[in-house]
Amino acid sequence: MSRDRIRFLLACVGTLVIVLPLAYLWQESRVPSTYSVMDMGYLDYGGGSRTGPALHGGHAMTGMGGDHAMPGTRSVADLTVGTDRPADKVVDLTARKGTVRLASGRTVDGYTLNGSSPGPLIEVTQGQLLEVRLRNANVPDGITLHWHGLDVPNAEDGVAGVTQDAVLTGQEHTYRFVAEQAGTYWYHSHQVSHEQVIGGLLGPLVVRPAKPLPQPVDVVALEHTYDAVATVNGRSSFAVEARPGQQVRVRVVNTDNGPTRAWASTAYRVLAVDGHEVNQPTEVSGKGVVVTAGGRIDLGVVAARDGSGVRIQIGSSTAVVVGPHGADVAEPPTPPSKDDVDLLSYGSPAPLGFDPAKADRSFRYAIGRRPGFVKGRPGLFWTINGHLFPNVPMYVVHEGDVVRVRISNSSGDVHPMHLHGHHAVVLARNGVKATGSPWWFDSLNVKDGETYDVAFVADNPGIWMDHCHNLKHANQGLLAHLMYDDVTEPYRVGGDSGNEPE
Amino acid sequence: MKSAYRVLAGLTCLLVLVQAAAIAFGTFGIISFVEDGNDYTKAIGEERAAEAGGIGQNIHSFGAMAIALVAIVLLIVSFFAKIDGGVKWAGIVFAAVLLQWVLAIIAFSAPVVGLLHGLNAFVIFGTAMTAMQRAKSATSAPVAAATV
Repeated sequence: MSRDRIRFLLACVGTLVIVLPLAYLWQESRVPSTYSVMDMGYLDYGGGSRTGPALHGGHAMTGMGGDHAMPGTRSVADLTVGTDRPADKVVDLTARKGTVRLASGRTVDGYTLNGSSPGPLIEVTQGQLLEVRLRNANVPDGITLHWHGLDVPNAEDGVAGVTQDAVLTGQEHTYRFVAEQAGTYWYHSHQVSHEQVIGGLLGPLVVRPAKPLPQPVDVVALEHTYDAVATVNGRSSFAVEARPGQQVRVRVVNTDNGPTRAWASTAYRVLAVDGHEVNQPTEVSGKGVVVTAGGRIDLGVVAARDGSGVRIQIGSSTAVVVGPHGADVAEPPTPPSKDDVDLLSYGSPAPLGFDPAKADRSFRYAIGRRPGFVKGRPGLFWTINGHLFPNVPMYVVHEGDVVRVRISNSSGDVHPMHLHGHHAVVLARNGVKATGSPWWFDSLNVKDGETYDVAFVADNPGIWMDHCHNLKHANQGLLAHLMYDDVTEPYRVGGDSGNEPE
Repeated sequence: MKSAYRVLAGLTCLLVLVQAAAIAFGTFGIISFVEDGNDYTKAIGEERAAEAGGIGQNIHSFGAMAIALVAIVLLIVSFFAKIDGGVKWAGIVFAAVLLQWVLAIIAFSAPVVGLLHGLNAFVIFGTAMTAMQRAKSATSAPVAAATV
């Protein structure tokens, strides 16, 4: 064989050594045009039992779900509150794509609900059955509504392709659930969410306890950034009238893709985190508190007795001013972030209602970052337990299990991790045990280099997203699911339904 | 193949220049945004808002992908181009680009590593320039021989 021929053969071998692995990785990263999320990735039982009707016959069987479940299984579509109970409150919402007019007069491209963004405040009393009739006037991609933080029945969770089909232009969809948990929540689209939520298809939701709260003045401060303009309730700041000495609750909702911080010109208390009241909150001053993306923090302040105002700053650009009419308060100095309120030790301990030491399953949710392919596109992507989307874990649980999860982040970026349908409690951060009020959350700010040990009770059957609420990151594949072992999936991502949850 | 090698090596040099220019554009965009009294938040950074340096950052992100692709193709072309030292220099360029990605990933956690990311850009530029000159002399050599 001539030298030239050998050289050519070696060149071909060298080319294949480079091209074949890349082609394999590219092929592995592709997702079918339509698929069930139950067929994604690999099953992770967390060391727990592997039995369950939905898993008989293997993972691929999930594609046979149909609209209703087979004997011994439950379909996502059937996990509802039922139709026999009449609604206590009915809300009609109409979504439109168009322009959003900010209080400053500036208009930005985005989405509205009943003509505005943020959408209307939905208020219900704990225990009431809320019925929301959603209509899509003209959003071409379709829409849904997800009740962020409310542990609703699975069929009402509002995730396109997982718990329902997207509501296409001209269509309607009705959500019905009992507002079991008092607290501060919000709703937003979970269809093409990385565009629709950023574009303002969202609004606040407050569930008031049957017994009135000690704060007679109670307001929502929903933070959202429209086209690089930070707003609170759609404006740069707003005033809340309160008499001297009156207690005020400010419900801060962060609807953005990144964390924000809140602080005040006076002492304040952190009254609630993600809808859960803090046990015996202490007064803090000169400190900030982080509100993670998707998270909510209720702050308590007392209107100044001398009649001056109190300013609650949400980030450097937006604020709420509490006090008599016309009160104006200068922006308080930004407290250093190293002194932020640490929810790990804030407040006083209280019973959890379950024993995390007796966990039935223990999972790992390790977030990293590496170059590769996701959905056939090359780039620098997030990994879960070393895997790129869609080859990520499907966390399998059985109803009633006590579940522990170790969430760690070595990705170089912060990730607001959001588990649908459940509230988990923080047990430890970086090995340091929680000593304060039980830190219940649905959205957890996991900074680069941090490890959280959390636990929850699997008490809400269904198929639930467990993803980063930086919705750009979710769209880049930082997204897994929690699946109950007897639940089947009738919905599909992609295909004619156009379902695209991220 | 020699011409393809030369063009790809030259393209790598050009893309390094684009990368340096784009990230400077992006950084000054952020500074200007903040100087206008705005708060540069994670949400705004994530949105890559044009008024906050987003265009420069986006170009830098796409440029990183483009350089990686060009470096891979350059390496493959080098196998066939029969340039003296061509595979070696294409391999060095590829290794330097790989290192650049690694340094970028580390720098998100440890920003000081960004210094090495900046310096390694000169390594990519210099090695790609050397590769281009190798190809140039390889293409011009037979012509010179023929005129003798």
